[in-house]
Parts: sequence; structure tokens; C-alpha cells
Amino acid sequence: MRNIDNRKYVIALIFIMIPLIFVVRLFYMQVVDDKWKERAAQISENKVITYPARGIVYDRNGQKLISNEVYYDIRVIPKQMDEDVDSVSLAKLLDISLEEYTKKMNKARDYSYRKSSEVVRQIPPDEFADIGPEMYKYPGFFEVERTLRIYPKPIAAHVLGYMSEVDSSDIKRDAYYKSGDMIGKSGIEKSYEQVLRGEKGVKYYLQDAIGIETDRYEDGAYDTIAQQGKSVTLTIDADLQEYGEELMRNKRGSIVVLEPSSGEVLTMISSPTYDPNLLVGRRLGQNYGELAQDTLLPLLNRSANSTYPPGSTFKTLMALIAMQEGVITEEASFPCTKSLVGCHNHPTARGVSDGVKMSCNPYFYYVTRKIIQQGKNKSHFADAAIGLDIWAEYLHSFGLGEDMKTDFPAMRYGFIPNTDFYDNEFPSKSNPYGKFGWAYSTIYSNSIGQGEVLVSPLEMANIACVMANRGHFYYPHFVKEIEDGDVPSVYTTKRKTKVEPKYFDPVVDGMWRVVHEPGGTARRARVDSLDICGKTGTAENFKMYNGKRHQLIDHSIFIAFAPKDDPKIAVSVYIENSGFGGTWAAPIASLLIEQYLTGEIKDTIKENRILEADLMPIRYQKKK
Amino acid sequence: MRGGNDKIWADVDWVLVGMYFLVVVLGVSNVYSSVYNPEKPGLFNLETEHGKQIMWIGIALFIGVIIMIVDGSLIRKLSFWAYGVLVLLLVLVLFTEPINGAKSWFGIGSFGIQPSEVAKVGVCLALSAHLAENPPPKTPLTPRISISYLMALVTQNWKTVTILAIPSLLVLLQPDAGTFIIFTSFILVLYREGYAGNVLLFLLVAVIIAVITLIVADSSFMLPLLKIKMGGKFGIVLALLFIGLAFYLLIRNFVLKRNRGGLYRALVGSIIVSILFVNFVEWGYGTFLDDHQKERIELLLGKMEDPDGKGYNVNRAKAAIGSGGFAGKGYQKATLANASQKHVPMQSTDFIFCTWSEERGFLGSAFLVIFYCVLLIKIVSVAERQRSRYTRIFAYCVAGIFFYHVMINVGMGIGLAPVIGIPLPLFSYGGSSVLTFSLLLFILIKLDSERKIVLQ
Ligand SMILES: [Zn+2]
Repeated sequence: MRNIDNRKYVIALIFIMIPLIFVVRLFYMQVVDDKWKERAAQISENKVITYPARGIVYDRNGQKLISNEVYYDIRVIPKQMDEDVDSVSLAKLLDISLEEYTKKMNKARDYSYRKSSEVVRQIPPDEFADIGPEMYKYPGFFEVERTLRIYPKPIAAHVLGYMSEVDSSDIKRDAYYKSGDMIGKSGIEKSYEQVLRGEKGVKYYLQDAIGIETDRYEDGAYDTIAQQGKSVTLTIDADLQEYGEELMRNKRGSIVVLEPSSGEVLTMISSPTYDPNLLVGRRLGQNYGELAQDTLLPLLNRSANSTYPPGSTFKTLMALIAMQEGVITEEASFPCTKSLVGCHNHPTARGVSDGVKMSCNPYFYYVTRKIIQQGKNKSHFADAAIGLDIWAEYLHSFGLGEDMKTDFPAMRYGFIPNTDFYDNEFPSKSNPYGKFGWAYSTIYSNSIGQGEVLVSPLEMANIACVMANRGHFYYPHFVKEIEDGDVPSVYTTKRKTKVEPKYFDPVVDGMWRVVHEPGGTARRARVDSLDICGKTGTAENFKMYNGKRHQLIDHSIFIAFAPKDDPKIAVSVYIENSGFGGTWAAPIASLLIEQYLTGEIKDTIKENRILEADLMPIRYQKKK
Repeated sequence: MRGGNDKIWADVDWVLVGMYFLVVVLGVSNVYSSVYNPEKPGLFNLETEHGKQIMWIGIALFIGVIIMIVDGSLIRKLSFWAYGVLVLLLVLVLFTEPINGAKSWFGIGSFGIQPSEVAKVGVCLALSAHLAENPPPKTPLTPRISISYLMALVTQNWKTVTILAIPSLLVLLQPDAGTFIIFTSFILVLYREGYAGNVLLFLLVAVIIAVITLIVADSSFMLPLLKIKMGGKFGIVLALLFIGLAFYLLIRNFVLKRNRGGLYRALVGSIIVSILFVNFVEWGYGTFLDDHQKERIELLLGKMEDPDGKGYNVNRAKAAIGSGGFAGKGYQKATLANASQKHVPMQSTDFIFCTWSEERGFLGSAFLVIFYCVLLIKIVSVAERQRSRYTRIFAYCVAGIFFYHVMINVGMGIGLAPVIGIPLPLFSYGGSSVLTFSLLLFILIKLDSERKIVLQ
């Protein structure tokens, strides 16, 4: 019997072992493993994201450029739906086809019975006015407010940019974004995305077994309120922008207007343009497609993403560099040797001011040759290489071909060729000129702004600023004020060119005479008492058709600033394929300057001529 | 032999009494939290489950006082009568209207009673009375693999078998698989009383083989080296043969020659039985179990996952328990196993452990499991201090039933036991179960209080 009495220990052992196993298991489930806590949250909590209104964008005078409007998304929780929901009338109410409705409902059920899915998104307020009162008939369906952009004035589309749904790379890059969120895709919306987007809010609800929210989780202790995005005040002058866009109607090209004393962008126009309200919400997809197919490329931001040859405007810089290098003086005179490079008929240029005024091509051929071929090396070729790099360095100090850190996405900057370029890359990488394979005679076209040099419209406006400031500039920028933030110091730092202010006087004098004196190339730009200084240019351009190079009508270029003393505005105007710079670009620039400085246009004949001009090349005219 | 009324309470084990009150108070507070309805705030409101629970505890205490007053010998004398009456109730209940597909309830207004719960008391009493008078033979049968051995086992023990078989079959007819499984807890009692010494070991091995069989049954594997695809069942058979070979080698090398013969026979016999058993499990699994029982087993074994469908109950139970964390979410702060969210089904009865564990965390859940463990050990120690065989056997019956209930109820919540709807003793809401467990404990306390005067 002793043997059998021992069995009590076996039983006691079982009674202890099993609870012990349970305790270990409980410790693992409750303390060690987080899996069940996550599962519990998934089951019992409903995280509702509240979307912040995006920051408002103002112009420099406090006019709203971008504002918000409330739109409505319709969502559904399948589990809460009536079983005999009238799909036909619901689809009709929501203005979608029955097939689409069925598709959405299947997708919603596949995703989750208890969590909500989107049925229709971004219903404009006027349409929702009809839907809202009917919603009570459809349990499980509810509306969520979301704000979308509205543009009070249909201007500055390229500057402001547009918004669209995030793509997978956005989500990967920044955990803030979830599928279906909106993000700034271009322009200011993109460059100030972080400022404008605000902070999403989260509300945690407890939901019961059929997915109905019952209580706030922990009485809302973990909830956050959506924070509206910060507002941004731009340097843009909405009135000037609007006027410029009016002037540019039926013309292709770009305008950039800067304030010389600050580098602030007052206006940036790319024409043709479009109404930014077209690319909002549900309209975005279709309208974007239509704009993208337009042969006039309205979506292309010519001001920011195109570069052109600078044409004759470049001559002003050649004169400045040559004087600073000491290879010419203010009084230098060169003959108009048309055999070197073509020219128009004009009196001999006696001095830099004359040269700029008459825009004599041979004059600047000689000036630039003096910069490039300074005789620093006995070899003509080696000498050109030294000279070209000196020349390029000066041009970089004017901001040309440099990253000027402008607060604009995908900003394209120009190109200044240097020795390395001609040694290794031009005319082609496989067959370049090679070291000592070129001299000034090879590359002289650059002296008159043709050849390989390229500039952007923004850089050209900046050159006008440099002239206005007699030798310094600020990096062009769009931001004037950020709510609760600072404008980066990179925009308030004064940048000096390598040319001393004293050398600017004859060049600026020449630019004044371009507009004001008989024989000047831009007399159409003259406005009494405004002392506009400018320089015309025409840029040859080619387009490849069927492998052949076709010369197109020249681009008309004009850079200007005003008034001559104490300048307030600097402008660059490019009118594509419109011919000589003085004909179209100069009067457009002068109208902008006059409007900005005086608030009115006195010469309505000049204004009407521009407003009525249709300079769209026939070839590109949109098919009706 | 008996003292006066003043002596009734003299030898009462107050620790056991204290444990009883502790667990019912915690139980009521927990039921209160799990079904709390702001529109019916009163603790004693009889429209609420906690109100009813308190009422049932009151009834149980009333009966408990009667039990304490009557003479223990009366209980012993009435054992078979109680058994008979309860078996009769088990028969009668089969003629009621089924509720949720089972004929388990006698309804009285909004109150119901499950005879299969209360029948446990009768079976305990009858089994104790029978075994107390019929100790196992001094020289037990030598276990042999033969029909005659099996026959002898049955003929020697037919009364015991009958006492257990009648209520078992009757609850199966309801059907109430949970109670049927609880009746197998009497194996522990039989074991303690000297029957079938190796039964527990056999059962353990059988359970392990059965579980492995079910896990690998419909999978297949590639035989190493030889590229032959094999069914899971053949894998087990192969493994058993390898184990047999290993034991054969062990016996050949380490056992004296004269002892080898019997061991070889035992080895061959057990391997053959095991292989037959594997096939039986597979066949029985496919034949006897209906689909939802199979699903529960497959969910438990992790062969099937369906957290929002068939595995809903266990998934929600685990989430509730697991999300309790170390210290819990706080009383009445459960977010899954609570009255308004209702993520966990049957959270006041079968899954009551979820509310407790979610609100009290690991500290609470471990406390409760250890509490039951201490209670079981306490009952064992009470059993072992008896000179009365009757009281000792009854104590083991009580321990076995409590143990099974705790093991299965807690086990299913934490995914270590299949889902079988049985209550957590004195903790789950339910009049019949509160009454049953209270009676079991009160009778034990009464019998134990007479331990100094009842010598046989
Ligand atoms: Zn000339």
C-alpha cells in the first residue's frame, strides 16, 4: 500500500505542472509577445485620421493665391449597411454607374467588413448639397470632409504648381504619407510641401464586434487635433503676374520679373498657361491628360525648365569682363567688320556705351577675343584655353550656370562652356575638339550670345538685377514670409560679381541709350520719366525634323531694369519665334515696368498692340 | 461518537472556507465588469447576470448551512439516492425542448438549471460510496495483452464502470461533450485508489501520439536520401519502428540475457499497439468527429487559421488576454472582453477568464491560476489527512473535477486546449455550476470536519 500512497505525489505534480505551464504561457502572451496587443488594437480600436487644411498661400501684398475649399468623400462600412440597400438609386445619387458602384462595394468588402472604404471621392460642395440630405437613407455610408485647393485668381499656375495623390515613392520616402493622401507635385506646392501640409490629427475610437464605434479610446487621451498647415507669403505680385499673363496671351515664351534690391521674384510667367483650378480634385485626371497632349505644351514651365541662348543681351557681360580684366577701356573702339560676323548698318561704335547701344556684333567679337586670347601663353590654343576659363569664371560670378538655390522644384540653370567642355565634350563626346584643338576663332559665337552658351529666363532676369545693382545680386527666390518660420539666409546674402561697380557705368549708360536714343535697338520700350535701361537680343534656334536641322524664327529677347538710378524692377522677356528682340519683347517688358512702377499704362496704343498680337507659330497652332 | 451542535464548526477547515469566499467574491466582481450595463446599475439587480449569480451563491450558502448541520453519515447513506435522483433528471432532461441544439436545461421562468452540472455531485457521492466499500484487490492482475485480461478487468470492476458509464452516456445524448470529458477526470481518482497504475502514463503517451498523428496526418514529406514521397502517417510508423529498433539495441546490449525475453515481447507488443493506435486515431478522427469538432482541433493544432471566422472565439479570447499586458487595463476598462464592445463571445461564462486577464493583466491571471493550483493542493492535503476512505475518495473527485474545469477553461483561452464550453469553477456566471461547485466544496468541508470522529 505504501506504493499506492505515493501516487498522491504524482497527482500533486500534475496539479502543479499544468498551472505552471499556464503561467509561463500567460507570461509569454501578456508580457513578452506584443502580437496579441497589436491584434487587440486591430480588433477593438478604430483609428480615424483627420486631415488638416493646407496652408494658405498669399502674394506679397496679402492677396490669396491659393486657398482651401471643403470637398466630401463618401465612405462605407460594409458591416453597417442595410442588406437590401437600393444600389440603383444610391449609385444614381452618387453619380456613378452601377458597375462602378458594384466594383467599389466588392473592393470595400474585400478590404474589410468593419473598416471603412472609399466609395466616391472629392465631391464638390455644390454637388454634395444634393447628396447630403439623402445620406440618412443609406446606413453604413457616411461623408468625410476634406479640403482641396482653390485658386481665387486663375493665375500663376506654373509658379503655384498642383497637387495629386502620393505615389509609392512618396510613401516610401516619408512615413507621413499614406495611400490616397495628397502631395504637392510641382511649383510652390512642392517646394513648401512640408510647411503647407500641416499635421494630421488622429482620433482613436473603440469599436464593438460589429464595427460600430462606441467610445473614445482612453477618453481621447491619445487623440491629436489636425493642425492646419502654415501659411506662406510669396514674393509674387499677383496684380503684376495677372497683367503679365494678359500680355502674354497668344504668345509663347516666358517672363521673369525680379526686385533688384532683394532678388525677390515678382512675377514668373510661362506662356501658354492654364487655369490652376483645372488641376484640382476629380477634375485633375482628365484635365491633366488634355493639357499634357496639347502641342503648345501648356504644362511646360518655360521660365524654370527651359534654357535658351542669351543672344545679344550677353554682350553687356563681355564688355564688363573685358574692362575688369583690363584688356579694353571704356573708350575702346572697334570697327564693324562684317566679314567676321554679320551686323546691321550703324555708325562706328566709339566706346563700350556705343557698342551696347548699337549692339554691334564685330565690336563684341573683338572685345571677347581680347578676353579669351590674352597672350598669356605663346601657343594660340593654350592661350585660348586659359582665357576661356577666366571668362567662364566671371560668368559664374554673375550666377550663370550656377545653382542659385532658388526655392523652386526642378529649376533648370544655364550652361557656360569652359575648356574642359571643348576639350572633351564638344561637338560630341565621341569626337571632341580635343586639347589645343580649338581657339577663339572656333568658339567666337559665344561672344554674341550664340554658340554653346545657354541661360535660363531666371538667370537673364538676374543679369538685369546685376546691371541695376551695378555688380551684385541676391539669389532669386519666391518666399517672402513663412508663418512661424524664417526666410533662409541664403536669400538675404549679398552676392558680388567679380566685376567692380565702376565698370558698370558705361554699360548701364549704353542700356539707357538702347531705349532712349535714336539708333537704339529698343525704342519701343521707352516710357517717359521711367528711365528704363535695357538690352535686346535675338536667339537663333533650330529644331530637328526628320534628322535635319531647320532654322526657326528667332526668339525675341529683352532684359531691362528701371529706373536707371534706384532701380525697383528687373525684367527678362522671351518671346519664342517672334523675331527681333526690340519688336515684341521690349514693349512687353516696358508695359510691365510701367504698370509696376506707376500702376497704369499711358500709351494704350502700345498696350493694345501687344494685347492683340497673336504670335503663336502656325505650325504649333492647336487643332480645333 | 458525535458532539453537540457547538462542535459542528469546531473542525471546519476555515482556510478552505476562506478560499471559497475569496473566489466567489472575485468571480462576482468580474462577472459584474464583464456584463456591466449602465441602465441596470444595481449589484443585486436580478435582471443582471451578477445579480443572479449572487442569488445562486445565496442559495448555495443556504444549502451549505443545511449540509453543515446534518450528520455526515446521512450524506454517505444518501449517496446512491442522490445519484439515482440525478440520473433520473438526466433522463428527464432528454425530453425537454432543445436549447441551442442540446437538451440540457430545465427552465423555471427566466432561471434555468442544468442537471448535467449537478449530476457531478451525485456521481462523486456514488463513486466514493462504492469505492470506499470495494477496495481494489490486494494482488492486482498482471497486465497482459490478452482478451482474458481485459475481460477480467471488466468483470472485477463492472460496478465502478456502470456508475460512471450511465451518466456519461446520458450527457452524451444531450449532447454535452464538455460534461462527458469532465467525467474522465475520475481516472485520477481511480489512479489514486490503486487501479490501473500505468493508465496515466499510457494516456500521456497516447495523447502525444494522437496529437502528432493529427498534426502530420494529411501532410507528406520526402524521405531523406531515397526520393520517395511519403504520407505523414507512414512517417510516424517509420519513426515508431526506428524507436523500436533503438530500444531493441538498448535491450540487447544493456539487459541481462534472462530478462530480455519479456522486454522483447513488451517492445514488440507496444510498437504494434502504437501503430494500430495511429491508424485508429486517423480513422476515428475522420469517422467520429463532426466538422466543427474537427475545426476546433485543427485550429488548436495550428493546422487551420481563420481568425475572423471559425477561429473567431479563440482569436478574440487570446487578443483579450494578451492585450492585458503585465498589470492589466484596469477594472471595467477592458476593451475586448467587456459588456459594450462584446468582441469576446460568452465572456461571462466560458470565456470569463478573458475579462479577468484583460483587466488584471499577467499579475491577475497568474494569481488566479496559482490560486486554483493552491486550492487543488489544499484539497489533496485535505484528502490525504482522512482516515475515512469515503471522504478521501470524495475529496479526490472534487479535486479532479476542479482541475479539469480549470485546465480546459483557462487552456482554451490561451490556446492550449480545444474550445469546450465549460465554466471556470465558482468564477463563471451560471447558477448550475455555482451550485455544483459550492455543493462539492461544502460536502467536502462537512466530511472533513468530521475527520476526527469518522475513522472508516
Ligand atoms: Zn556693327
